[in-house]
Amino acid sequence: MISIIARKEFLEMTRDGRFRWASVIVSVLLLAALLLGWQHQNDVRRQHEQARRHTRQDWLTQGRKNPHSAAHYGVYAFKPTMPLSWVDRGVDPWVGVASWLEAHHQNDFQYRQAQDSTAVQRFGELTGATVLQLLLPLVIVLLTFGAFSDERERGTLRQLLSLGLRRPDLALGKALGVAGALGFLIVPATLAGVLALALSEQNGALLADGGRILGMTSSYLLYFVAFLGVSLAVSAKAPSSRAALLTLLAFWIVNGLVAPRAAADLARLVYPAPSAFEFANKMDAAMKHGIHGDETPEQRAAALREEVLRRYNVSRLEDLPVDFGGIRLQAGEEHANTIFDHFYSDLWTTFRRQETVHRTLAAFAPVLAVRSLSMGFAGTDFTQHTHFAKAAEEYRREIQRLMNGDLAEHGKTVQGPYLQDEALWSKVPEFTYEAPDAGWVLSHQASSLVLLAAWAAAAAAAAWRAAATQRVD
Amino acid sequence: MLEAIDLSKSYNGSTALDSLNLKIEPGEIFCLLGANGAGKTTTINLFLNFIEPSSGTVRINGLDVTREPLATKKFLAYIPEQVNLYRNLTGVENLEYFTALAGGKYSRTELMGFLGEAGLPEGAAERRVGEYSKGMRQKVGIAIAIAKRAQALLLDEPTSGLDPKAANEFSELLLKMRDGGGAILMATHDLFRAKETGTRVGIMKRGCLMAVLNTDEIGHADLERIYLDHMHD
Repeated sequence: MISIIARKEFLEMTRDGRFRWASVIVSVLLLAALLLGWQHQNDVRRQHEQARRHTRQDWLTQGRKNPHSAAHYGVYAFKPTMPLSWVDRGVDPWVGVASWLEAHHQNDFQYRQAQDSTAVQRFGELTGATVLQLLLPLVIVLLTFGAFSDERERGTLRQLLSLGLRRPDLALGKALGVAGALGFLIVPATLAGVLALALSEQNGALLADGGRILGMTSSYLLYFVAFLGVSLAVSAKAPSSRAALLTLLAFWIVNGLVAPRAAADLARLVYPAPSAFEFANKMDAAMKHGIHGDETPEQRAAALREEVLRRYNVSRLEDLPVDFGGIRLQAGEEHANTIFDHFYSDLWTTFRRQETVHRTLAAFAPVLAVRSLSMGFAGTDFTQHTHFAKAAEEYRREIQRLMNGDLAEHGKTVQGPYLQDEALWSKVPEFTYEAPDAGWVLSHQASSLVLLAAWAAAAAAAAWRAAATQRVD
Repeated sequence: MLEAIDLSKSYNGSTALDSLNLKIEPGEIFCLLGANGAGKTTTINLFLNFIEPSSGTVRINGLDVTREPLATKKFLAYIPEQVNLYRNLTGVENLEYFTALAGGKYSRTELMGFLGEAGLPEGAAERRVGEYSKGMRQKVGIAIAIAKRAQALLLDEPTSGLDPKAANEFSELLLKMRDGGGAILMATHDLFRAKETGTRVGIMKRGCLMAVLNTDEIGHADLERIYLDHMHD
């Protein structure tokens, strides 16, 4: 019964010129978005690969110099492009993809694409995520707003129901018919995407990221089910097709255009983040006077001196068996690290709280949930950005420890300036970063997934109920 | 086959149907006459269970329609004033869809046979319904009823707007279905058709069934006179 209805809905749609045009346009946009994203990603990956090799090469061949100079020379850490980031670039264009790791500073990420773009581009960017989150729901609305109201207006609903048809069957059949039509748009694009992944340069990417692909696909499917359910419910209950269309367009606008903006503003209002200027100023002050503002650099220097003299049981710095300069530098690093940890953890907590606002508001707009999940599984959300940033910072500290340690140990063994070469530089391991797996993403995205699933279930139930209780004419 | 017992329906205090008692046996065509708003369509909607009765009982083949809304529809076919079909599907596709939803499985040839039986012109079956005339759509409606092997037919002014020839063909089909043992309830404005095809006619006014006449006992003129008498207050 249900399959008969679904088949007829599908047949009718494919004979409708409007649907044919819409599907051609959406397919072209979707494929173009994916193709552009894929190409962009391949470019970026190639550039990253090159830059990664260069920064390592530059580090190794920086020549003879003092280890602390080498620490100032620094290296770059590049965030690897995640295999699915071509579908959803997430926060990458805003937070940047590379960080300069040098002595004394935990630098912000650089190379933010958004800096190079005009404001217009920001809205017009065509990515797979835009098409899937905004355009496809619009297609769903256009395909289903008349599902019941149109049949009621044309009188076919009376005839259908006079046949002894169970009404929820009709809703389910219609949902499946639309799903079939949408499948025509989505499945080829998805297959093309998976194929592109399989063919891309990263060997084994497909297998390794099966979980992420599955997670992303399921998230979008739930999102579409939610939209389909809402559309069918509205169509069954609206007084006319026109009213159904207007209601659904309003929902689409609020969900896709208003909610993300409002959520961002609300999140900023409830959990304001400091401006970059303010943040840097406070951190500078803490560097000098400590987190509690109750110490001076001189006090710290004197305390360190005391401590080191006591440790080596000598009374003068000249009598130390090690180079005090190296020890002082490392102590400075460690002091700075506690400040960084304090301030960045505060900042990231604020950002995490802002994200929680977004995720909570997903109870009102499913796009907020799917956006979060999509970025999460694409590996381009803020949580995974901080995951990488922490790894890069860890690596920076490792370099500092190695350089300062070498300086402290050997600085005193030579007369005149202490210089080192590639023998030391190559002791610094190459930076490697292991991105978290799908399970990790899921554990951070559980609330979004639960909300999105709740949306889908509630929308399906609403469609079921609305179909069962709708007026005949 | 079709039975209404003390059947009433009121909307917000105004009575649309008042204690209707009616029994239509197999092989009978009962024509309901009356002005617009007399309660003819309300009666048909009650048989279809599209609306709930305020009081009384509606039965089809002995089953209460409010208790068994799906089972009772198995015996039914409904043809409205305007048979509405899916314009992007062909005649035979429409027939296939409606019969499949009613639980019937037929081959293409059988479906074409039903359309032929209902009098749809050769070649029209494969054309999209968007191009059909009203008469052709009514014939698809009849074909749906034939294919469903309906034992009871509910017709709501099925011939209004049809040209005389088409209306005549439609009446012929009704007589054939009656002879096949169908119980037919038809709401109509057409006194002439009612007299010609009906076994009995009922005259309704403001929700009340005022009179029931056997058509073989009266002439055209009598029917018209009685009808008009009832319409005057």
